[in-house]
Amino acid sequence: MSQARQYELVYIMSPDATEQDVTDLHAQVEAIIARYQGEMVRTENWGRRRLAYRIGRHREGTYVLEVFKGTGELTKELDRRLKVIDSVIRHLCVRVDEELRLAERTRARREAETQRRIARGLPVGGRPRRSDDEGGDDDQTDRAEV
Amino acid sequence: MADERRSRGGSGSKTRGNGRGGEKGGPRRGMFRRRKVCKFCADKVDYIDYKDAKMLLPFVPERAKILPRRISGVCAMHQRKLQTAIMRARQLALLPYSTD
Repeated sequence: MSQARQYELVYIMSPDATEQDVTDLHAQVEAIIARYQGEMVRTENWGRRRLAYRIGRHREGTYVLEVFKGTGELTKELDRRLKVIDSVIRHLCVRVDEELRLAERTRARREAETQRRIARGLPVGGRPRRSDDEGGDDDQTDRAEV
Repeated sequence: MADERRSRGGSGSKTRGNGRGGEKGGPRRGMFRRRKVCKFCADKVDYIDYKDAKMLLPFVPERAKILPRRISGVCAMHQRKLQTAIMRARQLALLPYSTD
């Protein structure tokens, strides 16, 4: 259970950092993940972007996203290391597996609902969120008002 | 749920008395207001991604404050998710905390 946690780490490197610095840090992060028996899922380099507000004296930065699986100790270690490195001006690590699983589940449930409606010959779609009633005879819940 | 929301829009304005001339105009009370639908429910968005700043932008109008759901019409569940997404995006300087 606890070993299958998925995290997303985004860090912003200062605009002075060269390509080499970015790849170096990426390798470093990868090494840490490997050391803690984590598993790299994917990585993305968003390139240089303008910051929405200035951080220190910087107005732009290089964003890098790393998605990995690992444990809490791993994120703690990454957090500690990234805090120390000067070329990283901001970082954020969030756990995403639960939210993604929840999203997947609601999607599956909706799919099942659509299938059920097709099978019964009921109108598909209609009201997006009306899961509280279980019978087929909704759509007439609109009582006359005025 | 739907009834409750509608009655809040209709009679709520009457009791507060800010709907000008809403009292005597019989069938059409208040002004016409389109019923708001949660954007995320309509689009069937399950996961609100904090990395997608362009998607979050309409919910942080000019002062960069989070748009209340009485205005945007977002449902409670999605507003909660939207809130965390916006707060994360702010930490990463994808969205501003405030402007000017």
